[in-house]
Amino acid sequence: MDIGSLTTKSVILSDGAILGTSIIPTGIYPEKSGNEALGKALKSAKQDGKKPAYTIATGYGRISAPYADETVTEITCHAKGAYSLNPDVRTIIDMGGQDCKVIRMDESGNVTDFIMNDKCAAGTGRFLEVIASVFKVRLDSLGPMALQAEVSVPISSTCTVFAESEVISLLARGEKPENIIRGVHQAIAQRVTGMTVRVGVEDAILFSGGVAKNEGMKNALEEAFHKPVVIPGFDPQIIGALGAARIADNRHSQDVT
Amino acid sequence: MTLVALQKIRDAVQQRPGEIEEEKRKGKIIVGWVGYLIPEEIIHALGLIPVRLGRGGDERLVELGARYISSQNCAFIRACMGMFAENTDPYIRGADAVAFDNACMQVYRLGEVSKYYCKKKTLFLGVPRDPASPSAQKYFRHEVEHFTQKLEDLAGKKVEPEELTGSIGLYQNIRAAICELYHFLDIGESPLNWKEVGEVVHAGYYLDKTNYFSLLQELLSEIRSLPVITAPNSNEVRIILSGSLIAPGDVKLSDLIEHVNGNIVSDDLWSGLNPSLNMHIDNPTIMGIADAYMNRIPHYTLPCLDKDNDIRFEHLKAAVLKTKAQGVIYHTIRYCDSATLKTTGLKNRLRKEGIPLLEIHTEYSGSDVEAIRTRVEAFFEILKFKDNPEVRV
Repeated sequence: MDIGSLTTKSVILSDGAILGTSIIPTGIYPEKSGNEALGKALKSAKQDGKKPAYTIATGYGRISAPYADETVTEITCHAKGAYSLNPDVRTIIDMGGQDCKVIRMDESGNVTDFIMNDKCAAGTGRFLEVIASVFKVRLDSLGPMALQAEVSVPISSTCTVFAESEVISLLARGEKPENIIRGVHQAIAQRVTGMTVRVGVEDAILFSGGVAKNEGMKNALEEAFHKPVVIPGFDPQIIGALGAARIADNRHSQDVT
Repeated sequence: MTLVALQKIRDAVQQRPGEIEEEKRKGKIIVGWVGYLIPEEIIHALGLIPVRLGRGGDERLVELGARYISSQNCAFIRACMGMFAENTDPYIRGADAVAFDNACMQVYRLGEVSKYYCKKKTLFLGVPRDPASPSAQKYFRHEVEHFTQKLEDLAGKKVEPEELTGSIGLYQNIRAAICELYHFLDIGESPLNWKEVGEVVHAGYYLDKTNYFSLLQELLSEIRSLPVITAPNSNEVRIILSGSLIAPGDVKLSDLIEHVNGNIVSDDLWSGLNPSLNMHIDNPTIMGIADAYMNRIPHYTLPCLDKDNDIRFEHLKAAVLKTKAQGVIYHTIRYCDSATLKTTGLKNRLRKEGIPLLEIHTEYSGSDVEAIRTRVEAFFEILKFKDNPEVRV
């Protein structure tokens, strides 16, 4: 279970094989959202009504998961999830609903260092939601719009509220929405590269979290890092839950043996 | 169960504001101070009552202080300014004069701004930026001499050598007692946790020094008489706290570390152990005091990390090895530029020694508690997996 600020994700695993997954919006009661997401994932795994043998909860709502056998931070879970998909990964950029983190890991998939953004929505899914609302477009339209830009209009504000005002001013000045949106993506990417100064970057870089579904953001990160960025061949939003399930699977195997 | 002597110290701290009022009625002069290199021995030797000022953990005071001092100063400085502006803290209200040093430039700024707005009699002690340079000692000697003259004006008398010798001895004994208290903590034989040790250290900010030393002796005697605890919690993570100060009242980070099964076994904080370390006043004179203060572990705003002779780094490294700490949590109180500037260099140097470091940037509001919890838990996961590969997930 990965109970995030905006969405709750669940992955059901058995002997290493993914049986079912779910993603639902996180409501105001994380415990209820967790139960609902777990129920949906069990249903998709055709294990309706059954109780998992071992459950790990992660994400900010992990402390509201009394049904979990254990809690593990999303830092460790993302590393485990990413490593299980691609053992070459050494750096993860995770952009979630309310935070952004850069995770460094070793050749065994163990976390060696990490950094998270501080008290700021810039570089998160929430930031992009605000920008989408300014343009009155769907969130998933932002990436394609950024890719259609002819030029990039620089955004100087990294504060979400001020950036919203800046975008409105740029629109009033007659700038094309696509060009502004590309500038927004580049501003976020620059902020993420700034974060990595403290932990470093090593190939391969994997991009996870809900924002990783945004192709424009992937491009902006590649430009900023001057390196290829890998999107997992699995829903990037579920990497944390997948990692939690991998850990649960290991724990259960250890308990059984 | 609370130790008898610890309870006595708590009771003494509760009663101290009333005692201070009584002392003032009798004509005693109170000298509040904020800084790292204020030579308290001289204040004490003149019969003045020294009180170290400042509290943390109260967001309301931070907001209040920010009306007077820029929000680019750290939360502690803003909270102190809030205390000066509000003037309800018994020690600030009672202070006849307030002394500041400029080891930290934000402390110096607090002195200037509080003097301007609150009209307190204010004394400043200049501190050289590079304590290792040959001219630093000369400069600081001159500053301490000048500072002493100001204090003598305030006291209306000169420092007597016998009084100074007595005060130096008392303070040396207090520092030795605090070091012993920390020793019990780092060898895992303390019935007090780090937060309680901090409470005892902070009690010394306010209490009459003779009474404080007597209470410290009582506390140490009680600890020595207790059976040794020999069964450490194998799940706990041993941590050293470093970085910006953690002022009295600021319990957010220490509570959180404890809550996730961390054990703070020592610190190298300006508000913790550091002022009691490396202080050897061999010559009981004003100059001897100046030299000893200049040679103590430098304030974290002073030493330059690219120098090979960074005493603070060497001390931190030695403390990690001595206490068998698994990692260092480096606390930066927003916006402490000095702490932020030094972190990456320190982290890289510690990494070469195999010592992991976690940076925590925070202030006094509760809005980031869960974000900090995630960082600390994730750090502990790294440390546990590093030390016990068999429990890797």
